[in-house]
Formats: sequence, structure tokens, C-alpha cells
Amino acid sequence: MEKVLEVKDLVVRYETDDGIVHAINGLSFSIDKERTLGLVGETGAGKTTAALSILNLVPDPPGVIAGGSIILDGKDVLSMGEKELERMRGNDVAMIFQDPMTALNPVIPVGQQIAESLEIHEGLSREEAMEKAKQMLEQVGISASRAYDYPHQLSGGMKQRVVIAIALACQPSLLIADEPTTALDVTIQAQVLSLMKGLIDNSHMSMLLITHDLGVVAEVCDDVAVMYAGRIVEIGSADDIFNHTLHPYTEGLFDSLPNLKARGEDLIPIKGLMPDPMHLPQGCSFHPRCPYATEACKTREPELKKAEGSHYVACIRYNESSFCLRRDKDAR
Amino acid sequence: MSKTRKTIILEGEEIEIYKGRSMAQETWRRLKRNKGAMIGIIFLVALMLATTVASFVYDYDKDIIAMSKDRFMPPSKDHILGTDNMGRDIFARVLYGAKYSLVISLGSTAIGLAVGLFLGALAGYYGGLIDNIVMRVTDIFYSIPYIMIAVVVVSMLGTSTMNLLLAMALGTFSNFARIGRASVMTVRDQEFIEAGRAIGLPTWKTIVKHVLPNCLSPIIVQTTLKVGSNIISASSLSFLGVGVTPPTPEWGAMLSDGRSYIRSSGWMCLFPGLAIMFTVLALNLLGDGLRDAMDPKLKR
Amino acid sequence: MIPTLLVTSLLIFWAMDLAGGDPVNQILPENATYEQREILREQMGFNDPFMVRYFRYIGGILSGDMGKSYISGLDVFGTFMGRLHMTLLLGGSALIFACLISVPLGIYTALHQNTWKDTLATVLALFGVSMPNFWLGLMLILLFSLKLGWLPSGGTGGIQYLVLPAVTVGLSLAALLTRTTRSAMLDVIRQDYMTTAKAKGASYRRVIYNHGLRNAMIPIVTAVGMQFSYVMTGSALAETVFGWPGIGRLVVDSINKRDTPMVTGSIILCCVLMAIINLAVDIVYAFCDPRIKAQYSGRS
Repeated sequence: MEKVLEVKDLVVRYETDDGIVHAINGLSFSIDKERTLGLVGETGAGKTTAALSILNLVPDPPGVIAGGSIILDGKDVLSMGEKELERMRGNDVAMIFQDPMTALNPVIPVGQQIAESLEIHEGLSREEAMEKAKQMLEQVGISASRAYDYPHQLSGGMKQRVVIAIALACQPSLLIADEPTTALDVTIQAQVLSLMKGLIDNSHMSMLLITHDLGVVAEVCDDVAVMYAGRIVEIGSADDIFNHTLHPYTEGLFDSLPNLKARGEDLIPIKGLMPDPMHLPQGCSFHPRCPYATEACKTREPELKKAEGSHYVACIRYNESSFCLRRDKDAR
Repeated sequence: MSKTRKTIILEGEEIEIYKGRSMAQETWRRLKRNKGAMIGIIFLVALMLATTVASFVYDYDKDIIAMSKDRFMPPSKDHILGTDNMGRDIFARVLYGAKYSLVISLGSTAIGLAVGLFLGALAGYYGGLIDNIVMRVTDIFYSIPYIMIAVVVVSMLGTSTMNLLLAMALGTFSNFARIGRASVMTVRDQEFIEAGRAIGLPTWKTIVKHVLPNCLSPIIVQTTLKVGSNIISASSLSFLGVGVTPPTPEWGAMLSDGRSYIRSSGWMCLFPGLAIMFTVLALNLLGDGLRDAMDPKLKR
Repeated sequence: MIPTLLVTSLLIFWAMDLAGGDPVNQILPENATYEQREILREQMGFNDPFMVRYFRYIGGILSGDMGKSYISGLDVFGTFMGRLHMTLLLGGSALIFACLISVPLGIYTALHQNTWKDTLATVLALFGVSMPNFWLGLMLILLFSLKLGWLPSGGTGGIQYLVLPAVTVGLSLAALLTRTTRSAMLDVIRQDYMTTAKAKGASYRRVIYNHGLRNAMIPIVTAVGMQFSYVMTGSALAETVFGWPGIGRLVVDSINKRDTPMVTGSIILCCVLMAIINLAVDIVYAFCDPRIKAQYSGRS
């Protein structure tokens, strides 16, 4: 299948006064046309940095993209010039940000903020762009008459709809959504999510959905990539990840999830905390928290290996023929 | 078990103290990396040492205010900064005079700090009418140029160092009142005040305990910068003739003297001004450094 | 605004009442007899209780009469207004000069944070705010009038007389505003909406000027507004240094001559002026920030 985006061996660091933060350490994944990939991981796994890298917008300084490639429609984003980047941003790839409260410019009317993309990329005049911006507002469920309102006059859910309208204005081929619903109320979350899904399906876009919410992933995504300490530990179709889990970390994520159907059941949290990205552990970054860790895990870095079809996993113990996660044992 | 329970509040206090210490350590660690702030500290320490030494080495009557016949000497080997219209050595007077500038600005800032914080805390704590009155008064003092306040006060009470100090404190307190009010208001309605009340602590005690650590960093930064600007204010007032009067070797008063002779003896104007500038610069460097070191948001 | 002015006038009237000494001494020649003094005192109502005199004064102001100078016998309001345009000219040109330098410089340094250009400009600005501006004035005279002979050292006349005083007030102001603009801009470029704008594909120029500057203008306008009292202070000092006949010098001279009606009237008029300026700043502010505009027009 045709690939919209291919990230290979991406390395990003933040060089701060206090030391070097290893945010992304050899990240590889790809997104197929008209598919939605969910990028899952805890806070601090490097998800947002990964998203910003795709637009080449990692704040510099202190951020440094130290290696790898990001191929978009056959071109490497990391070697694009400033003009090329500007043409790509918002037109080929658009982004929805985590916090709608701060993502909108407080001193510019929302309609104008949507129209700006159209002015830049489609060469529309101010009036034409504003007309189209009003249509976009209607599409995301906001009355066109609010186009002249300022962000502080809208509710949180409405602001996120505006952010979505900005992102979709120029019909990008890839949409990156960075925790688009985290800052919203639960009821609004569902609305926004179904709105996004509808719009994506209608316009044949691909999407990279970044989230820590496995419920959202199950709802929306075709494929899932699980990220830990700046690397992919497991990637595959939603069915692969949810029903044929291979990595201990993915298993840990599922075990931490309350199950509405089996309410009495104990939760099994992953012990410990995400490692400090300034001082990552040797070997597999997950080994200090992994219930299956062996001596080898402390020294050897696991590589992402093919398990079955499109299902890949990065775990040393997976190669052992007798190795089996607790989940699968229970199932047997 | 019962022992632990008894010391819960005590422990809370211990944790507070521990926190405070580590914050100070963290601040110092970051401050040490700031070249400007270090230059500022070194300069200020050196200046204080020098002025202390100067007040032992020089005799006030003989070296600082007495006339001699070496008038209007340009800088030379004998008088490295030259002499003034009375034949007095400018180097000795500048060093000796540091004491006046520092004491006046430190003193007025301290009074302004105490009064301002108290009034601000009062306004923030009680709110309503008291808040309104205090803040209106603060606004008045904030909007009138300090020079006018000082000029009125000094002409009301007479020209003396003490009155100058008071006049400048009046121009200083409004900043601190704002800080005090804002910090008290942010914690006033928080739940731990409620919790404190539930175990029988008077509200003001909880406030003092929690507000002070919260507003410590803006206060320290503001104080440092204010000491600097008060040095300028004091010298400005002396220059206008409503502050310290000649022959006291206050820097502004020296400039006021030198102004009459600027055509022939420019150095009389140059050096006291440089002294003011470098001292204030040192304080500003330190203040900026402290602000960066204490504000975790600015941590890059 | 009106109550504030009333309280301010009461404070000033009271302070000047204490400070003024016996006004009769200022009006009558030294050899006036006791009877002559008593008659004048009775005529001018100096024997009435304080509050009576205060309300008579306020009543006078309301009917357009602010009293007459003890020294020259001229109308206070007329004298003040006759000098006001000089101070507005000086302060205004200083402010324009300062804004022209500081806003572009502040933006430039913020965008080139931590380069040598930024460091140089930041250090220069720090020197600027650490200098007493009357001393800067003296140094400018020393250099441009006495050494180079390019510009007059004082007085009034053509534009060449305005340059040095305006630069004196303006440079210190520019230093201050550069720092404000820089930190406002630094604050803004870290905001999420700047990333949103870049993610839209907006060019660097567009991001900085359309999105950044429009937000940074809010704190910059606030800073400019707050500096008006600084401009007044700076003008008063520069007027003294350069012999510029503005209101700052009027107040200082009147104080030295113990001309109570002149001082009281001038300071009250200064407060009115400040209040008007603050109102104007609020209006400009509302234009910059839609959140405040909404407050004024009553929409949420």
C-alpha cells in the first residue's frame, strides 16, 4: 500500500543547561494512505516531539534533530528549505494541538485564523478566504456568524473545533492530532472525536493520532504504534495490538486500564516511573519496570523485529520460543 | 504510630524548612552560573569593603570636607580622580560617599518593603473596603512621579537625610503593596487555609506560613532592583537640592557641585556619576540574575 | 478618578500647609509691621480652620481659580498652562525617540536570543537603565556642547535646543522599554499559538509580525503607559540640567521659593494630567486586546 509518511531512525535531543534530554532515540514508523495510526505512550515518551519533527517545528534551540529521515510524498522533510517547509506545513500536513485554550491567537478573530491558511496556500483574497473559513466553521458545527468572535468568547470544545477547522482548511493529505481531546470534558471528547473521524473519512486523509488513551485508539485507529522512551516498542494493526499483544509494556498499559465489564478485578499498574530522558537506562529502556526482564535486557538494546505480517515488536525475550506474556497464558 | 500522628504538623513544618533550603540551594546553583550576577555580587562586596576601609582610612573633617589649595586638579598620580572646587580628593569622597548612597537606598527600600507588604497583605486578606482604600492610596502614590512626592515631603519636614529616606520610602512602598496583596489573594481562598482552620489554626498564621514562601522570590528580586533605582532617586533628589546637601560626599550632591564647573572641570561630574552607574548596574545584574534563577519557567 | 483626585488634593494641600511656613512672610516685605501682617492674614483667610480653607480652595478650583503665586502674583493655572507645552514637547519627543529605538531593538534581540548582538544590546540597555538621567544629560553636554560644540548646552530656540534634553530623557526610557519589549517578545514566541501559526505554513515574517507583535503590543503599551510618570520625573531633571522652562522646573523652583499656591496647584494639575494620560493608555490598550475591549462594551 502507498505510504503517506515514513519516519526512519529519527533522533531528537534537547540540549539544555542542565544536560541533554534524549527525547527521541531511533524512531521508525510509517502511515499508509487513508489509514489512521495511533501513537500511544505515557507522558514524556516523546510523542509530541515526534509530531513536531514531522513538521520540522522542534523548537531550536534547545531542540536538535540529530539523525534519521522523515519521508513525506517521497521527499525528506528534514532536508527541505524554509520555503518548501512553508508550502508543506498546513497544506500537505496539518496539526491539531493538545490544548485549544492556548493554541489559538487571543487577539485575532477565529474566522481570520482559519482564513489565514487559505490565504497562504490557496492564494485566496481576504474576502474569499473569510467566506471559505465560514464554511469550514459550519462544517465543524459552529455557526458562521461566530467567525468574528475572539477565542475568549468560545467554549473549550468550540475552540478545539476551530483548531480542527484550521487544520482541515486546506485539505491536507496527512493530519497530525496531538492529544486532541485530552483537555476537553468527557462528553465533548466524544463529540470532537466523532467529528474528526467523519471529516477524515469524507476527505480521504491519513491521520496520526497521538494519545495516551487506549479507549480513543480502539475507537478511531486502524493501526497502533506503542512508544516508550523515544522508541517504538510494538507496532501493528489495531487487532494485532489489542488481541495479540507481544510487548510487556503494551501488556502493562492494558492491565492498568479499568475494565467496565469486569468491575471487581484488580488493576495491575506498571511499577515505577518513566525513566528520566536525561539518564536513560542501558539496554532496553523498559527493563527496570519490566516483570519479564533478564540480565540480557540490561545490556542489549532490542531491535524492532517482524513478528507476523505488519506486526513488529522490540523485545529481546520475544525471540525465545518458550516466552509468553501472562495475558496469553491466561487466555490459554 | 501515635508519635507520628502528633508530629504531623511539626513534620509539615520540617518539610517546609527542607523545601526552603533546597530552593535556596537551587537558586544559588543557577546564580553561580550567571556571569553577570556574579560580577554584580563581586562588585557590591568590593564596594562595601572599600567604603568600610575608607571610613577608617580617611578622617571625615580633614580629608572629606576640609578645603585645600589643590583646587580643580585634573586626575593625576597624587589625585587619581582629580580634585574638586574646594581642593578635596574626589577618589576619597567617592569611596567615602558610597556609604551614604547605600545606607539611604537600603534604608528607604527596607521601610517601603515593610510598610508595603503589611498594607498589601492587609488589603488582600480583608478585601472589600479596606482593600479599596489601601489600593486607591497605593495608586495615588504610584501615579505621582516620585520626585514630586519626595519634594513635597522634604519641603514639609525639612532637608535632612532622615527625611530623604522617608520621602523615598513613600515612593517605594506601592510596588511592595501590590506584591503583598497579590500573594495573599492567591492563597486566601485555597483549601489548605480551610484545612488549617479545621484543625484550629488561626487563619492569619496559616497565611503567614504559606504566603511568605510563595512571594519570597518576587520580593527578593524587586528589593534588589529597587535598591538600585533608589540610589538613582536619592542622587537625583540631592542633585535638585532637596536631598543630602553639600559638603556631605553623597554622589548626587557631588554632581550638583560639579555641575557649576562642568565647563572647566568635567571630571568633577564624570566620576561620581560613574560610581552611581556601576553600583546600580551591579544591583541590576544581580536582580536580573536572581529573577532568572528563581523563576523555574525561564529554565531553558 | 474624581475621588482619587480629591484625596490627592487633600493630601497635597495638607502637606503644603504644614510645609509652607507663614505665607505672609513671602508676600510682604521684611519690614512690614505686625498690623499689616494681621490685616493680610485676615484678608486672605489664613486664620480660618484647615478644612474651611481646603474647601474654599476646592471651590476656587471648581470655578476655575487656582489662586495666585505669592512671589510673582501671577495666576497659577495660567502659569502652569503657559509652561505645559514645553514639557509635553520634551516628554513627547523623548517618548517617540525612545519607542523608535526600543521597540525594533527589543524585537530584534528577542528573535536573536543568546547571540552576540543580543548580548551587546542587552548589556547596553542595562547600562542605560543604571544611569541617572540627569548625569547622562551632563555627560551629553560635556561631549556634544563643550568638546564638540555641535549642540547648545541649554536654553530654548530651534530644534537644536530640543535634541540633547530629549535624548537625555529618551535614552534612559529607550533602555527600559527595550528590556520590556524583549521580554514581552520572548514570552510571546514561546506561546502555543505561535506554533499553530507556523504549522499553518505562515512565513517567518508573518508569524512574527501578525501573530507575535500583536500580542506583544499589550505588555509594551502597558509599559509605555507606566513610564509616563517616569517621563515626568525625567523631564523635571532634564529641565533643570538644560534650563528648559517646563513644569518640572516650575515645581522645583516654586518649592525652593516656598511658593505654596504654585506648588499645590502644579502638583494637582500634574495629577490631573497623569489621570488623563492613564485614561488614554487604557483606550489604546483596549484597541490592542480584544478581551479588554469586550469588557468595556459589555460583552463577555
